[in-house]
Amino acid sequence: MKPSVAAPRKPLPLRSVLALPLGIGMLALLGACTGVSAVTKERVAQGETSLQQAQQTLGQSEHGALELQQARDKIAAAKTAMAKGQHEQAERMAAQAHLYAELAVAKSQSASARNSANEVLASLEMLRRESERNSPTTR
Amino acid sequence: MSFNKQIILSVAIAAVLSACSATPDRNETLERARALVQQVESSPRAGIAAADIANARNSLDAANRLAESKTRVADMELEATNAALSAQIASEKILTAEANEAIANGTAQRQAVLIQARERDVQKSTAQAGDALRQATASQARVDSLETELADLKLKKTERGLVLTLGDVMFDTGQSTLKPGAYATLDRLASALRQQSERKVLIEGHTDNVGSSDNNQGLSERRAQSVQIGLTQRGVERSQITALGKGENFPISGNDTADGRQSNRRVELIFTDGQTRTASDAGP
Repeated sequence: MKPSVAAPRKPLPLRSVLALPLGIGMLALLGACTGVSAVTKERVAQGETSLQQAQQTLGQSEHGALELQQARDKIAAAKTAMAKGQHEQAERMAAQAHLYAELAVAKSQSASARNSANEVLASLEMLRRESERNSPTTR
Repeated sequence: MSFNKQIILSVAIAAVLSACSATPDRNETLERARALVQQVESSPRAGIAAADIANARNSLDAANRLAESKTRVADMELEATNAALSAQIASEKILTAEANEAIANGTAQRQAVLIQARERDVQKSTAQAGDALRQATASQARVDSLETELADLKLKKTERGLVLTLGDVMFDTGQSTLKPGAYATLDRLASALRQQSERKVLIEGHTDNVGSSDNNQGLSERRAQSVQIGLTQRGVERSQITALGKGENFPISGNDTADGRQSNRRVELIFTDGQTRTASDAGP
């Protein structure tokens, strides 16, 4: 029965060990709140660039449109967070916006590649059928 | 109990407790991320999207670590979402690569089929050219054979075509019935004409000027028809033959001597090789 008693008692020193860095972290966060760093601004700007590139790549394509909208939403969230001075949240949202934008592009590219592949295969099939139809007369 | 053992046991119990509590509220975002990452990692084409898969793995590892401390669910879900996104990007890139490979394959196969078809066309046209040449040679040979076959029948080349003259020895005097002596000649004519169904023959009957012109006209017609019937009986197409009576109006020598009159009593067979010439020649 001793271990079960020891178990709840044990984490206490652990928590106290964690308390110091956590406290420093909190202080850092508070410090960040006073002004958004240049790095954060840069990251949000990067996310926005990714979004714009994705918009250009997709055009009116419906493939990846959903992800593109997500990317827009995340950029908006990043800007909101930035306005509130939440630089970490802003950076996270910007990073996610970048991922959504990239996924949108990847989806539209794979859809158009699949389309082309289907067209090529269809035309190949047609050509084969045609040449089979022609070959017996030459034999 | 030693201090070390206490730690191990406490960690084990904590792990069991956390596992028990984690089981009921399985996080769907995390589960989905795990499934997606595992899927792309096990793809045979994982190398194509290695960087994205590495990103996905890093985010998933972070999410897994955060999942152990139950306090930071939002952070964990963010990492899990990022892991899922990276995995999806990798998956789409793999799909794109597969599609591009299919395009390349299909294009190559299409090219192969086209080349095959072209080769077949060349063979076909070569064969056609060969056929045409053979046909030309064959028809030339048939013309030659008609000329050689009928050479001893006093075949004359005229501007109207090849003309064969059957003398009046083929017929009894005043009669239009062919004599048996004419049969051998007719046999040869018929077999030559059967071989060349495109050949046309114009049969013209002629007489001397003995007797009335009407009689001579009728006789010349009947004799021409006799030859025509003789040929059709031997298998020549009716459409190849035109029979005309020309009466006494086209002598080839004088009617004042017996020899001359004999040469004028004749049936001429004019061979042409086309319908048009026969038609234009048919008129008197």
